[in-house]
Amino acid sequence: MKFKKVLALLLCIAMVCSLSACQSGEKKELNLFTWDGMFPQEVLDAFEKDTGIRINYSNFDYDEDMLSKLSEAEGGDYDLVIADDYIIELAIQQGLVQKLDKSKLSNFSNVNSLYQGQFYDPSDEYTVPYGAGIPLIIYDPALVNLDIKGYSDLWDPSLKDSVAIIGNYRVIDGIALKTMGESFNTQDLDQIQAAGDKLMELAPNIRLINDNNTQDYIISGEASVAFMYTSQITMALAERPDLKVVYPEEGLGFGIMAGFIPSKAPSSDAAHQFLNYILQPEVSAQCFEYIGYYCTNKAAEPYISEEMHDLIVVPDTVTEGEAIQNISQEAEDLHGKIWTEFKDACN
Amino acid sequence: MKKHSKIWVSVIPLYIFTLIFVAGPLIYMIALSFMTRAEVFGVVGEFTLDNYKKIFEPIYLKTFAESLKLAFTSTILIILLGYPYGYFMAKLSSVWKKRMMALLMIPFWTSALIRLYGWIIIFRSNGVLDSVLMGLGITKDPLKLLYTYPAVVVGMVYALLPFMILSVYSSAEKMDWSLVEAARDLGASPMKAFLTVTLKLTLPGLLSGVVLTFVPSMGLFFIADILGGNKVVLVGSIIQEQLTKGRNWPFAAALSVVLMIMTSLIIGIYRKVTNTKDLEGLF
Repeated sequence: MKFKKVLALLLCIAMVCSLSACQSGEKKELNLFTWDGMFPQEVLDAFEKDTGIRINYSNFDYDEDMLSKLSEAEGGDYDLVIADDYIIELAIQQGLVQKLDKSKLSNFSNVNSLYQGQFYDPSDEYTVPYGAGIPLIIYDPALVNLDIKGYSDLWDPSLKDSVAIIGNYRVIDGIALKTMGESFNTQDLDQIQAAGDKLMELAPNIRLINDNNTQDYIISGEASVAFMYTSQITMALAERPDLKVVYPEEGLGFGIMAGFIPSKAPSSDAAHQFLNYILQPEVSAQCFEYIGYYCTNKAAEPYISEEMHDLIVVPDTVTEGEAIQNISQEAEDLHGKIWTEFKDACN
Repeated sequence: MKKHSKIWVSVIPLYIFTLIFVAGPLIYMIALSFMTRAEVFGVVGEFTLDNYKKIFEPIYLKTFAESLKLAFTSTILIILLGYPYGYFMAKLSSVWKKRMMALLMIPFWTSALIRLYGWIIIFRSNGVLDSVLMGLGITKDPLKLLYTYPAVVVGMVYALLPFMILSVYSSAEKMDWSLVEAARDLGASPMKAFLTVTLKLTLPGLLSGVVLTFVPSMGLFFIADILGGNKVVLVGSIIQEQLTKGRNWPFAAALSVVLMIMTSLIIGIYRKVTNTKDLEGLF
């Protein structure tokens, strides 16, 4: 009896060993680190099949989590990271990012130049854009007796307790700055404080604040107006084509996601291969239709299906947007404090 | 002598465990709270008291007050619901005790997050509760119940109630019921017998229940996020926000230290006021 148990145990150990041996035997692996659900499964499967490189997808919720993991690993562990613009600037400043080898990226020229030369990578040495977001207003015309044109309409008293917003304080404090004709990135503390005071007046209109799945609230009618990220707008429209989207007249905020290769990536070769793979027009179109962000690949635009085209190809009217950048600690702290006061005032 | 040294050896794992999982993080947190945040990311080892000074800004003090208020409200409701439940559960036959225990434990097999989402379905406009109330003609328009303070309180009570029930039950179960009979035989009214005998003897259970519900309810910010629409700001939410989006770890650490000191003080006051030494195995 006892012998049988020992035997079973030994067999188990043998199995585990052989499994791990099998894994370490296959050297080709791509450690991809990004948010959950950034690629359609078919694209990942096709890449694995074409190249024989196994994709090891790990995900994070917040950019900051990514940066702290990456700096703990001293730029190692991961081969390719896709994250937001402002955090990439910090990662580059900390020396955690390596320059791209453009000779391995034959499809690099497909990138839409509207999203290039940005503050985080002025000469496009480190990053390949993968989707852009523009937080926009969306509303249900059946429930709102107001022709919403810009951010300042959100302050309208008729919208009491009916606006859902995302929980990103730079963006929300930023729209108050925008209504006053200031920049999202102002570092003038008096201006930020003035915008904060103005933001307090918005509090009675706020139904809820949530960074995730904000589209659910407008789809279900829990809120009649929402100010949210591009992917959420796309999802809301897919469900409710009757909703109206507004490109606020005061000016747009840009958020760009981009892929970069960490400085000590175990397999930067695989990362280059993958980047080049997803830059192919057809593959890229497939990806952007899936993630629902603005397409950053000019060559992919003709391949985007008709019903998705209006949603993820930036309209010609958009020629500029202000990217939200890193600002001084004092300004950042003040934004954080205003945000806490604002949330408290919403209750 | 030999025997003695053996005991010493067997305690080593416990010491190591405490050192790694209790003392280590605690020291790290306290040290972090006196450091300066780095220009770009992370911290530098420069001593400062600024993190603590910042807590005295009115908005952060108010957040502490709000968290305390929410914790008190939910704890009182939990006592009112949980004490009778645990008390009567202890009086059931052993078969029913097991059944009730199973009913208490089954919800734990599902993630707390998913159970909270269940409340959204009940509370949301034109949701379950609204349909019932409007169907019965009690209300006319949908109530906007979700994303309000009461919704957060309900979530807290729901999430923490089992802890109160279990601690009251465990001390009521151990109680010698013949003492209540003796009090009644000696002429005490049912009320007086309850107050002088039963309540006294189950107080340790009640208090450990209070500790198990009050302390977490100061920090369960995800309930305030999900059911309060992020509009009820708790200390826990600020700590989370400062650690992630604010990138200000030292300030988050300072908030945690103050929160910890505050909860320890409150537990100390509970013990003093109620004069209990034994908190059902907690202290």
